[in-house]
This record gives sequence, C-alpha cells and structure tokens, in this order.
Amino acid sequence: MRLVSVATLMATVRLLTAGALIIGACAAVARASDLDVSVVDRDGKPVPNVAVYAVPLGEASGGSAATATATMNQIDVQFHPHILIVQQGTAVSFPNTDTIAHHVYSFSDPQQFDLAIYKGDLHPPVTFDRPGLVTLGCNIHDNMLGYILVVETDMFGKTNNVGQATLPLNRSGEFKVRIWSPRIRDRSDSLSRTVTLSGGRDQVLRFSLESKLRPPRDSDSGALAWSDY
Amino acid sequence: MVRLLTATFLSPLLLALVSHADEPARHDFTTGADFSFIQTNGVDSWTDGFVGKLRYDDFSDGLTISRGFLEHRFRLADTLDTRVAIEAYDDNLGPAADFTEAFLEWRPVPRSRNRYRFKLGAFYPRVSMENVDPGWSSPYTLSSSAINSWIAEEIKTIGAELSVSRRPQSLGGRHTFVGQVAVFYANDPAGSLLAWKGWSVHDRQTRFGDKLPLPPLPQIQPGRLMERQDPFVAPFREIDNRAGYYLNGEWRIGQRFALRAMHYDNRGDPEAVEGGQYAWRTKFVHVGAQATLPLEIGLIGQWMRGSTVMGSPVDGVHLVDTEFDSLFLLLTRRFDKHRISARYDNFEVTQNDSTPEDNNPESGHTWTLAYRYSASDNVQLAAEWLSIKTHHCGWVYYGILPTHTEQQLQLSLRFQFGN
Repeated sequence: MRLVSVATLMATVRLLTAGALIIGACAAVARASDLDVSVVDRDGKPVPNVAVYAVPLGEASGGSAATATATMNQIDVQFHPHILIVQQGTAVSFPNTDTIAHHVYSFSDPQQFDLAIYKGDLHPPVTFDRPGLVTLGCNIHDNMLGYILVVETDMFGKTNNVGQATLPLNRSGEFKVRIWSPRIRDRSDSLSRTVTLSGGRDQVLRFSLESKLRPPRDSDSGALAWSDY
Repeated sequence: MVRLLTATFLSPLLLALVSHADEPARHDFTTGADFSFIQTNGVDSWTDGFVGKLRYDDFSDGLTISRGFLEHRFRLADTLDTRVAIEAYDDNLGPAADFTEAFLEWRPVPRSRNRYRFKLGAFYPRVSMENVDPGWSSPYTLSSSAINSWIAEEIKTIGAELSVSRRPQSLGGRHTFVGQVAVFYANDPAGSLLAWKGWSVHDRQTRFGDKLPLPPLPQIQPGRLMERQDPFVAPFREIDNRAGYYLNGEWRIGQRFALRAMHYDNRGDPEAVEGGQYAWRTKFVHVGAQATLPLEIGLIGQWMRGSTVMGSPVDGVHLVDTEFDSLFLLLTRRFDKHRISARYDNFEVTQNDSTPEDNNPESGHTWTLAYRYSASDNVQLAAEWLSIKTHHCGWVYYGILPTHTEQQLQLSLRFQFGN
C-alpha cells in the first residue's frame, strides 16, 4: 500500500516537474522579469546556499498565499536540505529516510514542536504560520542541525554554486530584499536592501559581504567516529 | 563456549521477535562476537594472575572467541531509555556473560538552547575517544590504549551524571559546548590494579561480577603488611561510604574537532578496608582531543595524569603512594571499507612510598598497528600487531627481568548484527 502511494507520489512529482519546466519555458518566451541577486564574500568570491527573499512593502503586498508543501528530509543522520525556505503558511513534512529513528524538534520562537521518535512518514506535516528562523535538531543525534526560514513572501530562493539566486518578479512595488545564511557574520542591517521593482524589467542586486564567512558546515569525512554527547 | 554464544545472541533475537514491525522498534540492539587467532610473545598475562601487559599469553594462543557483546536500548518513553551492555568472555574471571553498563537515560526535548541529559545507573565516564562503537568497541584498533584499557579495567560511574550542552547560534551553529557533572559511589578499589599491576593494553572490560587477579605481591601474603587484601580486585565495591565526583568539559566544532578535559576524584578513604578490598583515593585529570587533519587523516590524543594512594599516611606518605601518567596518539585513515590505524602509547607509574617489597614504578611504551576491513554491516575483519616495552622495578620479585618487550598479533573476524 505504502509502496503504491510512494510510486504515485513520485509520478506526481515527475509530472509536476515536467509541468513546471514547460511553464518555465513559456514564461521565458513571454519574457517575465526576474530579480537576480548575487552574493559575494569580501574577496569577491560567490557564496552558495544563501537564502534570498523579497518582502513586499506597502502597495506591493499581495502575491499568492502559501499553498505549496515542502519537505525537510533526514538522510545519513543529517537534515536535507540544510536550509529550507518556505512561505509563511507552508506545510512541511519531515520524512525520515534513514534506517534509524529520529526525534526532530525545534525550540525556536516562530514554531516550537517535536516529532517523537519515528521512521518514515509517521508524522503529519507541520504548518509554519509565523515568520522567522526555525532551528531544527534531533533529540537522539546531537550533531544534526537544520534550518527552516519562514518568510512573508512568495518571492524567495537560494544562491546556487555561482552565488546567484533568481526570484521571479511577479509584481511591482517596493520590496525589502534580505539575505541570510548561518555562515554570514555581517551586521544584519547590511543584509537587507529596500528596492523598487517593476515587472517587465530584469533587476540585478549584489550583496558584497564585509566580514569573513564562517566555514561551511562540515560533512562527516569518515576519518573519525564522533560520539553523541 | 556454548553458554557464551547463547547469552550473547539469543536474548536480542527473542527481543527482535516480540517487537512490533510498523513503528520504530522500542528495542534497539547490536550484538556480535569476535573470533580471533592470537599469537603472543611475552610474559604470562595479568588475566592469569601474573604481570604480563596483554590479555593473552602462551596459554591462550591460537583460535579463540575473544569476546561476545550485546548493547541494548529499550525505549520506556520518547525521551526515556534503559540501556545495558553485556560482555561475554571465556576466561573465568567472572560469569560467562555479565553487564558492563546498565543505566537509565533521560533526554528531555530541549525548550531552549540548553540541552540536558541525565544518566542514572552504571556507565563509563566520558574519557575514551576510541571506544565509540557498539559494545564500547573501537573502530580503529582491537586493543584499547593504555589509558582506556585502565578505564575498562577499573573505572565505572555508579551514580548519576548531568550533562548540559549548548550550540550558540552566534557562532553559526558549528560550535558545541558540553559540561558534565557526576556523583558516584561504589568505585573504591579503583587504582589497585594500576598501582600493583601497572598499565596494560587489551580489549577486556571488567563486568560487575568480575574478580581481577592481582600479581603474587609479597606484601599481600598472609602475615605481611597488606594481608587483608584478597588476591583479586573487585573494583566496583563501596567500602568507605563516601561519594566521588567528576567534572568534564567538552568543546566541539562540527565533526572536525573535539577537545575535552576532566577532573576525576573518587574521594576514597585510603584507610578503609572491607571484605578483602581496600578503598584507594584515586584522582586524575584527563585531556583528550580529536581532529580531522588534511588528507582526511584522523588524529586522536589523550593524556592522563593522576595519583592513587592506599593505607595510613606517615609524614604525608601513604603505605602505597603512586602517581601515574600516560599519553597516546592515534592516527587513522579510512579508504572506503578499509581503515588503517597506528597508535603510540607512553605510560609511567612513579612511587612516593618506600614500603619494602612493594616496588611499583614502571615505564614503557607501546606501538600498535591495525587494519580493519568492513566486508558488510555484519562482517568485519581486523588484523592488529602490537609491541609493548616495559621496565618494571617490581618484576624481580617474580623471578623475571625488569625489562621486557611483549608482542601480540591478533587476527579477528567479527560477526555483528542489530536492528
């Protein structure tokens, strides 16, 4: 029964992906505009995996309400993705793909919750209603760490390997564009810009960080075993 | 031997059968056994009541089942577990199979950046950085370093431990700070073996019911100074009704670096003696570090220095008054399913007392080379060669030279399974 539903789910995902690609292609033809944000460190090198989001101010508000669902997986005793960005109101599922059980929790202000010891899809999705940063942990595996950034907008993304994020610009107006990553040490007021965006015209925004970045979160190299504490 | 295998394998099998299939099992277990070929060249072993540093000697060379183990965790509630570890040995120092650890662990779901853990029962203090696999096994070598072999022999926390950890977001979530405090009873004879036998290098853990033989010390013979001492040590007895404590701190950076430091004091009353066992005042400081170096080479280093004393003091010096010191460095590199490791141990015992015919000072070092191959989750092959050179002043009492080099080759096949 479960196998069937997983297969159906996979098929649906594939269909949706294909659909999204087609729509994306059409959109490209229709020449919808984008907001391209790049993030570079103090040496001018691109910084990947930085959350980027544009919060509409005043008249620009509106946009679509959150209908999407999102997934924070657990693979090889780590959260995947390490950083998940969702619109306020999104339901996030926490499937445990490992063969060992996890106990996912958060004590963060926007959403305190815990999903008692489980494997697979035992728990229903958690809806994130309040904006802010939710830090995730596992009560069994102390080294697991993940983030869900809940934002008040449907315009968000994450920088890719060349430090760029492309947010589809679906309306005009004034926006506060913010970036966030656990690696960034810069003062928070330098991590947001207020910009006026108008549809039909691509816009480019560049954040140059001043402070040295923290090293990326280490993946376990396997050279040593690390006990829990 | 049959008893040993039955004890190790049968109980988890039964537990696995009764646990429910859909939910995550309330029982988690890992069990296994090491089938070994051993070739030694040394002095008769301390496990045979002599002074050899190894677990094996000429009497035990050849094929043997060197250990069976079971580690079991039962979930009483989402945040409350019982945990036990059982070791099975064929050496008649205790029952065939017996407990090495048994405790309750409470891990409340964090409601702030502080995470609390609480243990109650009998468990190892956080000293070893080698013995992190199920059954307190090492993923690197078959034998433990001198420091951790001693922990396995004589040290157990029989009490309560509170652990607090914190991962400040201001440091990007990479750094973790852990503090531990424990109060314990029932570890009063700890130090006897270290003072009278000295350091060792092996893979044997003392179970609750074990009686570890002492060398034929002149001063514990009838009519001599310490005749009330049994010819063996039962390290987990309470003798003086005084609680001991330790404090441990740890700093971690992700899975790249860890540093820990401990102050340990069993607060034993060195003048207390009961039922053939003396209480020893045993104190030590321990510092351990592990780091992943460039080229994915792992480094572990541990250092320990302490003292253990027994008997009435005269001018501030006890009847047996010794200090101990040991350091090891281990380098390891994994190549997919293969791992090679090399370890250097240095160890020393010095003596402050001048009690006649009780000469305990020793110094020595060990080289250990090990190769492990993980054929699957259930089968591991290991080969280990080690060489220990010791100079021990007291060995002349037993008719052997004070300096010896002991060597051991161990080939081992481990079968292990769990849920």
